Amino acid sequence: MRMVILASFLIVLGFFLATRVPVTLTADEVAGAVSDAIAEAQAPVDEERVEQVVRRSIEKLEAAQRYRLKYLAGAYFVIWLVFMLYVLRLGQQQKALDQRLAQLEQAPDANVSFQNPTAI
Amino acid sequence: MKIVAILTTLLLFISLYLIFGYAQIERSMLEVQKIFYFHVSAALTVFVAFGVNFVFSIKYLIQRKPNDDLLAAAAAELGVVFCTIALLSGPIWARYAWNTWWNWEPRLTSTLILWLMYIGYFMLRSALAPHKRKIYSAVLGTIAYLEVPIVYYSVNIWQGGMHPGTGTKWNLEATMRHTWMVALVAFILLFTLLLTLRYQLKKTEARYHRIQQQHLGEVKS
Repeated sequence: MRMVILASFLIVLGFFLATRVPVTLTADEVAGAVSDAIAEAQAPVDEERVEQVVRRSIEKLEAAQRYRLKYLAGAYFVIWLVFMLYVLRLGQQQKALDQRLAQLEQAPDANVSFQNPTAI
Repeated sequence: MKIVAILTTLLLFISLYLIFGYAQIERSMLEVQKIFYFHVSAALTVFVAFGVNFVFSIKYLIQRKPNDDLLAAAAAELGVVFCTIALLSGPIWARYAWNTWWNWEPRLTSTLILWLMYIGYFMLRSALAPHKRKIYSAVLGTIAYLEVPIVYYSVNIWQGGMHPGTGTKWNLEATMRHTWMVALVAFILLFTLLLTLRYQLKKTEARYHRIQQQHLGEVKS
C-alpha cells in the first residue's frame, strides 16, 4: 500500500511538473516589454519612470498572490491534518486492541488483567 | 478492500493534480477558490455518512442486529470527521471571500447544529449502559438525520445567506465541474474505505468484549 501511495504521488507530481508551465517574469523580460510598449506607442515618455511603475504593479500582484496562497495552503493543510489525526487514532486503537487480544489468547485461564482496549 | 484502497489513493492524487494543474482559476477569488473542490466534496460526503447512519439506525430498530448498530456508529463517526473538515476549511475560505472567519448565515449555522447533534450522539453512546446505548443512539441517529435536508436547502429556505444556491455547482465551467466530480468520487471512496476499516475495528472491539465477559464469567463460576 505504501508503494502505491508513493508511486501515485510521483506519477501525479511528474504529470504536474511536465504539463504545468510556470509563469515567471524576470527583470530583463519586464524591461524588454516596457521598451517595446514605449516604442510601439511612439510617444515621448520617461522610460525609467514607466519601468518603475510597472515593477511596482508586478510587486503588488505578487504580494496579493502570496496572500491568497496562504489561505489555499492553510485550508489544504487543515484537511490533511484532520485526516492524519483520525488515521493515527485508528492505528493506535487497532494496535491496543491487537495487544489485548494477543494477551487474551496467551492466557485462556483468565489470569489477564482486563482493560478497555479503546482507552488510550 | 485492497482495490478500493488503491482506487482511493489514485483518485485522491488525480484530483489534486486536476485541482492545481487542470481546473481554471476562477476570476473573482482566483487561487483561493480551489478550496471549493475539497470543501464541498467533504460537505457532501457528510450527507452520505449520516445517510448510512440513518439507514442502519432504522435497520437496527427493526431487526435489532448488533452489527447494524456498529456500522451506524462507524458512519456517524466518519460523518463528524468530514463535517469537521468542512467546518474548518470553510472559515479559511470565508476569511478571504467574505472578510470574516464566521458568519451566522443559514448554511453555516445549520451545519454547526448538525455537527453538534452528532457530537451529542457520541456523548449519549458513552453515557449509557451497553444494553440501552444501541436503541437510544439508533433513535437519535434517525432524528438527527432530519437536519441534513435542512442544511442542504437552508440557502433556499432562508434567503439572504452568503452561500450560493443548491444548483450552482452544476453550472460551473467545464474544467472546474470535472475536477469537482473527481474530487467528490475520491472523497466518497475514501469514506467507504475508512468506514470499512472502522467497522472492522468496532467488530473486533465487540468480539474482545464478548471474550472478556466470557472469561470473567468463568472466573466468577
